[in-house]
Amino acid sequence: MTVVKVAAVLMVVLALVIGIVPQFTDCQSQGRALELPTGKTVAMKCHWSATAELALAIPIAAVGVLLGFSRRKESMRNLSILGIVLGAVTILVPTVLIGVCASADMLCNSVMRPLLILMGVLLVVISVVTLLASNRITEQPA
Amino acid sequence: MNLSRLAWRNISGSSFRSAVVFLCALVVAGLALSTVLIVRGARDSLRLAMDRLGADIIVVPQGSESKVESALLMGVPTSVWMSGDREAKVAAIPGVAAVSPQLYLSSLKDAACCSVPEMLMVAYDPQTDFTLRPWMQKNLPGGLKLGEAVGGTYVFTPEGEQNIKLFGYFVTLKGNLEPTGTNLDRTMFFTFDTARDMARISRTMAEKPLEYLPNSISAVLVKVTPGANVHDVAVQIVKDVPGVTPIESPNLFLAFRKQISGLLGAMLAILAITTVLSLVLVGLVFSMAANERRREMGVLRALGGTRNFVFRILLSEAALLALAGAVPGLLLAAFSVYLFRSLIVRSIGVPFLYPSPLALLALIAGGAILALIGVTLAASLPAYRISRLDAAVAMRE
Repeated sequence: MTVVKVAAVLMVVLALVIGIVPQFTDCQSQGRALELPTGKTVAMKCHWSATAELALAIPIAAVGVLLGFSRRKESMRNLSILGIVLGAVTILVPTVLIGVCASADMLCNSVMRPLLILMGVLLVVISVVTLLASNRITEQPA
Repeated sequence: MNLSRLAWRNISGSSFRSAVVFLCALVVAGLALSTVLIVRGARDSLRLAMDRLGADIIVVPQGSESKVESALLMGVPTSVWMSGDREAKVAAIPGVAAVSPQLYLSSLKDAACCSVPEMLMVAYDPQTDFTLRPWMQKNLPGGLKLGEAVGGTYVFTPEGEQNIKLFGYFVTLKGNLEPTGTNLDRTMFFTFDTARDMARISRTMAEKPLEYLPNSISAVLVKVTPGANVHDVAVQIVKDVPGVTPIESPNLFLAFRKQISGLLGAMLAILAITTVLSLVLVGLVFSMAANERRREMGVLRALGGTRNFVFRILLSEAALLALAGAVPGLLLAAFSVYLFRSLIVRSIGVPFLYPSPLALLALIAGGAILALIGVTLAASLPAYRISRLDAAVAMRE
């Protein structure tokens, strides 16, 4: 049970990092934008990745909070599976689904992308640990 | 119940002690591997860069040594030129086996006429070149034609395009060289003919024309004859060719090597402090736990457990915790250094090459063994003391 509680706290911390850090490491936060021939500026794709990650951080935090309060083995197992899926999507957004800017010198490429991959992997690992731990919990009959 | 199972039960029963030892092993192992990966990666990178250049001496315009080194290693754009006739003068010096000129150019930053970010471009002479020749013979026997180029491992044709646009001139990328971890990985190589053609086209097609002095070069790469003393040849170059500085291969990238030494010193100091503090903490935790568990150990002895058995249980607990902490710490460190490698290069100011999977595996295994030895040693003294206690005394106290 202690493992699950610690994992729940870690999940909330990861959700905060996933939601907040990209907002300060995308190109828009550095004052960069694409300029169209018409003179209009458009946000680069790393900005949309950052926005998508913010949207992902909310359910991740919710999974963490619910996991912290859950008592039933089945709830823990379902929340852990949801955590694995959300971790995978966290990785896929900056790598496959939306992506970041191509230049290796840009902050979104050197900081935001690797950080999100790392956080996604940690989320998957933590969720797998809670899944295994929840299977070992023996529920008391009501 | 065997020894390891009993040790595992004991670990599960004391979560605070286990968490402290686990975290200590995780931090020390992770920090040690990160240090080794960065310092070793920087050294490998410099060695590969020197091998890639393949020269015993690089002759550069006087006073531009650091600029050329920074351009080759860190991609700092440079425009150092000297007259092309220096090549013939260097070639005439006794002991020189081969010379090859190179011209360093850089693409434009954020310009519509360039489809790649700012990068170093090296023009070379295919008749005399020995830098790319080994790669060419293996991968591109026909050599490079006009308008063709080879790039470092990170040079690529932009998505949806068939050529790379540089100064409004379309270059066809024919292949990529093996990674070195230095800026040579972001460098494009083409012939002098292509450079001249690019300069001609750029006058009408680029936002800013590609300009360099006609018949100029940036460096002369020198190979000395077998048996000749590299230093003697370099001294002769200084005497016979005015306005140039020869950089001998062992002295190449000297500033970066000093930087790596400084970095190594600082990282080793941090690692030493962390390791000592962690081992002291592990020793203290085991010492406290040993005192708390006197009765438990006394019961074990009364049930027939020998002193050796008690000692081995405590050491098994330490070993299991060390491995349980070190392995994730090592994996996390290896993964983090891999992910953040470009940030590390920019932060520490030296190039960096990630090791091969086999070398990485060996480093991880070495790290795990070191953590195992360290934690087991730290726990051995308290374990020895409690195992020597008499069973009756241990249960009574």
